[in-house]
Amino acid sequence: MSAALEARRMEKRFGTVEALAGMSFSVRSGELYGLVGPDGAGKTTAIRALAGLLDLDAGEARVLDMDPRAGGAVREALGLLPQQYSLYRDLTVMENLTFYSRLYVLPRDVFRRRAERLLAITRLDRFTDRRADQLSGGMYKKLALAAALLHEPKVLLLDEPTNGVDPVSRRELWALLHEFVQGGMAVLVSTPYMDEAERCDRVGLAYRGRLLLEGEPGALLAGFDEEAYEIAGGDRERVEAVVESLPAVRSMSPAGSRLRVDLVAGGREGVAAALAPLGAELRPVAPSFEDLFLSRLQGEHAA
Amino acid sequence: MTLSGSPSGRFLARVGAISWKETLHIRRDPRTLLLALAMPVVMLLLFGYGVSFDVDRIPLAVSDQDRTEASRRLALAFTENHEFQPVGGAEADAADTIFRRHRAQAILVIPQGFEKDLARGGPARAQLLLDAADPVTASQVLNKADAIALSESRRVAAGPGISAAPPLQVKVSSRYNPEARSAVFIVPGLAAYLMAISAVLLTALTVAGEWERGSMEQLFASPVSRLEIVLGKLFPYLIVGLIQLLLVLGVGTNVFDVPILGSPLLVILAGTLFLAGMLGQGLLISVLAKNQLVATQAGSLSSLLPSLLLSGMLVPIDNMPAVLRLISRVVPARYMVDALRQILLKGNGFAQVWPDLLAMLVFAVVIVALATFRFKRRIA
Repeated sequence: MSAALEARRMEKRFGTVEALAGMSFSVRSGELYGLVGPDGAGKTTAIRALAGLLDLDAGEARVLDMDPRAGGAVREALGLLPQQYSLYRDLTVMENLTFYSRLYVLPRDVFRRRAERLLAITRLDRFTDRRADQLSGGMYKKLALAAALLHEPKVLLLDEPTNGVDPVSRRELWALLHEFVQGGMAVLVSTPYMDEAERCDRVGLAYRGRLLLEGEPGALLAGFDEEAYEIAGGDRERVEAVVESLPAVRSMSPAGSRLRVDLVAGGREGVAAALAPLGAELRPVAPSFEDLFLSRLQGEHAA
Repeated sequence: MTLSGSPSGRFLARVGAISWKETLHIRRDPRTLLLALAMPVVMLLLFGYGVSFDVDRIPLAVSDQDRTEASRRLALAFTENHEFQPVGGAEADAADTIFRRHRAQAILVIPQGFEKDLARGGPARAQLLLDAADPVTASQVLNKADAIALSESRRVAAGPGISAAPPLQVKVSSRYNPEARSAVFIVPGLAAYLMAISAVLLTALTVAGEWERGSMEQLFASPVSRLEIVLGKLFPYLIVGLIQLLLVLGVGTNVFDVPILGSPLLVILAGTLFLAGMLGQGLLISVLAKNQLVATQAGSLSSLLPSLLLSGMLVPIDNMPAVLRLISRVVPARYMVDALRQILLKGNGFAQVWPDLLAMLVFAVVIVALATFRFKRRIA
């Protein structure tokens, strides 16, 4: 069987901005594909092209081997969770769901059964009479997800579903997605959070309208040969002041009580020596997706 | 649900879904609804009481330099029917000051020797000075003054004691609005005007609102078609517009004694066709504007000006320059005003008003088709 979702060398330009520069990837049924990348990488444009919401300059977007702009059958098969607020703020949870069920002309008993289940697994069942604008960010995203799933699409497109969502709700959302994928759905998720890559079956790292890197998260990390370090101990402020002044440190970010640092090749000894008087210690750690992606993005910048 | 089977059933179900959702929006925003329903009544009361083309009790200053019985009788002829209201005497050279201070609309100057001239049988001259800053009022004042002077000359010519009838008697009688009351004339026009503004504005906001709120993206990803969205958004506002029409007519008949001689059903039919066109115009604007601020401005300009100035509501279409007369042919308010006047004031039926109805139907179909066509199902 061919891919459920296919992006073939998609190109799209908005004025002088090249949003898509030949992006290609495909998603199979029963697969959770993560499109990871910084803002402006072309993730939203790619998802809109696959949803049939814009015309490409070149290349093609295919959904179940149909043109997504065709209407009819392809729209019945497609579910979309846009990045921006897309439901009606002045309508309640139940009214929003009812509206979408009517747009898809679902029989009333089918709607009631599905809504009950979706409300239960999103734990929105206690808030059916609450207006959408009175939901928290996470609750709203779950409602939008429920609305996108009511018609049981074969293909689900989610544009940054975890953006602005608290960590607990974020974990719940991912668990929900896995559940649907196991039911045979093809799911494409975009996210700016690099650490979410490992939750996907396959990931693509998007940058400036194309993919820099693509593969299974485990295999990608296994093939990553750079070292990652963290700094533990010492007075935090003094350590940061010293680390900032070291040319061998490419970037640093707090990770709990420690500092995660990215070093230039061969910079380890110098940094360790500079930290020793502060009572801090530099240790190697297992590289994460963030390290992998940052390294690739920096390589791209340098090029 | 039995609807879900056939394609037309699905079409209706989706139109119904959009309409249901729009109705919820209207219900959740009672201020807009209240405004839409209260504004016509307030405007009608303001226009009905405030705008009047009836001219009487015209303030008249008299400069009687003859001071004779004949001159006093002439002055009395002007004021005895309350057509003119005396506001006191005036020096002949004070006209400018009087007009500038709005003390009088007209000054009657009777020169010395008026009675003598009259007695000699020669032409006796009196002068009427007019403030013609407002030409409409001035020409009415002039007509009245002419009529008074004419009847006064006849009376004098007939001489005392002889009661000969004037050789020719002209009796003007107006039909359909015999007292020439402004309210009767203005209510049909105002009904069309108010419906036009609120219909265009309300719908101009709804599609632009979907773009601004981001809900358009989700709508476009669903199987709902553009026509379904357009029609679904039209129906609830059609109902609001018809309620406005009934309110305006209700106030018009009860407060200003506007008659409803023709069929109320025909009024509703005309209103429905007119509203469909106006709502379509609002949709077209918001499809093109994509932003509520621009939609509001374009909406009010494109509905307010033509329906106020080119509909025949205030200025008769026959009196317009040829170009404006031509433009008025594509202003639906023109046909609505005409249809309403025919039905309400003359009691005309379908046989007489069908050209108006047809014109409004054509406008509605064309504009809704245009709105649907220009409604691009693309986000970027």
